[in-house]
Amino acid sequence: MRLPQFTYHSPDTLEGVLALLDEHRDNAGVLAGGTDLLVRMKHRLAGPKVLVSLKHLDSLSYIKEMSGMLCIGAKTPIIDVIRSDRVKQQAPALVQACERIGAVSIQHYRGTIGGNILQDNRCIHYNQSQLHRSGRQPCHKDGGKICYARDEADRCNSTCQSDGATALMAMDAHLVLNSTRGEHRVALDGFYTTDGIHPFDMQPDELLTKIDIPVVPGAVSAYQRLSYRSAIDYPIVCAGIRLVPDQKDAGCIGSARIVVGAMSRSPLFLAKVSQSLAGVRFDDNTAFDRAGKDAMNAAATFAAHNAGADLAFRQAMVEKMVGRALEQAAAQVSMKIAR
Amino acid sequence: MQTIDITLTVNDHQQIIPVKPNDTLLEVVRDYLDLTGSKEGCGEGVCGSCTVILDGHPVRACLTLALEANGSAVTTVEGLADGDTLTLLQQSFIDHGAVQCGFCTPGMLMSAKALLDEDSSPDRQKIRQALSGNICRCTGYAKIVDAVEHAARPEPGCPDCHTKETGGDHD
Ligand SMILES: Cc1cc2nc3c(=O)[nH]c(=O)nc-3n(C[C@H](O)[C@H](O)[C@H](O)COP(=O)(O)OP(=O)(O)OC[C@H]3O[C@@H](n4cnc5c(N)ncnc54)[C@H](O)[C@@H]3O)c2cc1C
Ligand code: SF4
Ligand code: FES
Ligand code: FES
Repeated sequence: MRLPQFTYHSPDTLEGVLALLDEHRDNAGVLAGGTDLLVRMKHRLAGPKVLVSLKHLDSLSYIKEMSGMLCIGAKTPIIDVIRSDRVKQQAPALVQACERIGAVSIQHYRGTIGGNILQDNRCIHYNQSQLHRSGRQPCHKDGGKICYARDEADRCNSTCQSDGATALMAMDAHLVLNSTRGEHRVALDGFYTTDGIHPFDMQPDELLTKIDIPVVPGAVSAYQRLSYRSAIDYPIVCAGIRLVPDQKDAGCIGSARIVVGAMSRSPLFLAKVSQSLAGVRFDDNTAFDRAGKDAMNAAATFAAHNAGADLAFRQAMVEKMVGRALEQAAAQVSMKIAR
Repeated sequence: MQTIDITLTVNDHQQIIPVKPNDTLLEVVRDYLDLTGSKEGCGEGVCGSCTVILDGHPVRACLTLALEANGSAVTTVEGLADGDTLTLLQQSFIDHGAVQCGFCTPGMLMSAKALLDEDSSPDRQKIRQALSGNICRCTGYAKIVDAVEHAARPEPGCPDCHTKETGGDHD
């Protein structure tokens, strides 16, 4: 399958990349590992005229701890995240999520954490070859006026199937975006639009440079996902959890973040369900089961029938993914106390 | 469309190759260098039949721009054998019946070699994980995992291990 034509640049400096993005804007595409972008270009779903490669920007590939934050450069390869002791300790859910992305030979060495967050939303009706799509009318995301995933939908409900983003949102990650206009920082849970065509609240001249994860003393995290095959396939439901112990009673949850992924246009931070866990004991599995059910009810309405599996099955599995991730996270607390 | 010269060390030979921006590494090795061992199954990252080793790591050649590989070292399946002498890993694939139609084999070999280069004695779980990005429609995988396992640890008494006396070196 041939790629469409484009011109290629691989600047040596961040300034060089930002200047090209500023110059070419909507015509430009950032090339990190290319494992999402190049597939869409082959399918003629994306057609940047100018590819700006991050190949030489090694300064964007790092994992370090700074002023209470675990900082990860946007170009850091997935394998470095998986193998980092620091991430394992401070953000275990992210390691679990990255281990589950595709397969070793697809992304682990070429794919990047930034590209993982910024991969386009997906839909089985849309992520198809040009030939497949040419047999019928284009849908909203493809420039048309209908949706195959949800009857009568006036907008696109494509699904964010990023493993990394779901885990990162659970850990309250923030993104740092740079452009020739300057730098700004956004919370990941405030970074999404409600439009499946353009899922990210980001300008075409902006580059994601850094991901910040707050290091919270005593916090534990876990990630669970379901996919057809354990490798290669995208998640059809997933959940990321972070639990912070209560400051006065370490046996109780002080605050929780429950995020459900692959069910909507963005990972869903379920604020109400999360709050309901405050004060719950870490060994209270009944409360976790209840939270799983509540999460299922909260997330179910967002899902469109576009990730392959039966929709009702995916909805039902939210309960399991959330319940399991909660139990797994809570188990880390007892391990920490035992040590 | 204009071409740009890249320097690529392919199977230990450094060469200068003119490529177009929209050439993939797979297209360059197959169509320009005539190294047709690497296969294009899907062209979209799913099947693994195009897997090559780029600077020591297994990657999808169909999703790697040739320009992005500029300055790198690539090993394709043609780079394994020394003339007619197969590597232990290749011989083990034959001995254990890990090749049926053979379409997935080059990719399987490259994923397996990358694993063994990093860990000379992986357990079955690790082998399965390393090969999990490679699809085989014929063998049912068990024989492929056997082949890799026995290349790493030739098993005394294995009736299939033609390679049992040599052992150890999988290059
Ligand atoms: C067969 C297959 C299976 C897959 N399975 C999974 C899976 O299970 N889970 C999963 O999460 N993903 C999966 N993916 C998607 C993808 O491979 C991964 O998300 C990967 O981490 C993307 O990273 P990349 O660096 O290759 O991204 P790229 O393709 O380089 O980039 C992705 C998008 O982000 C933009 N971008 C990248 N970096 C930046 C930056 N720093 N600033 C601004 N824009 C940027 C690009 O322009 C592009 O639009 C799969 C892909 C394939 C082909
Ligand atoms: S959700 Fe509807 S509009 Fe969006 S990509 Fe799928 S079919 Fe197209
Ligand atoms: S041809 Fe590259 S993964 Fe299938
Ligand atoms: S031997 Fe035929 S696909 Fe693997």
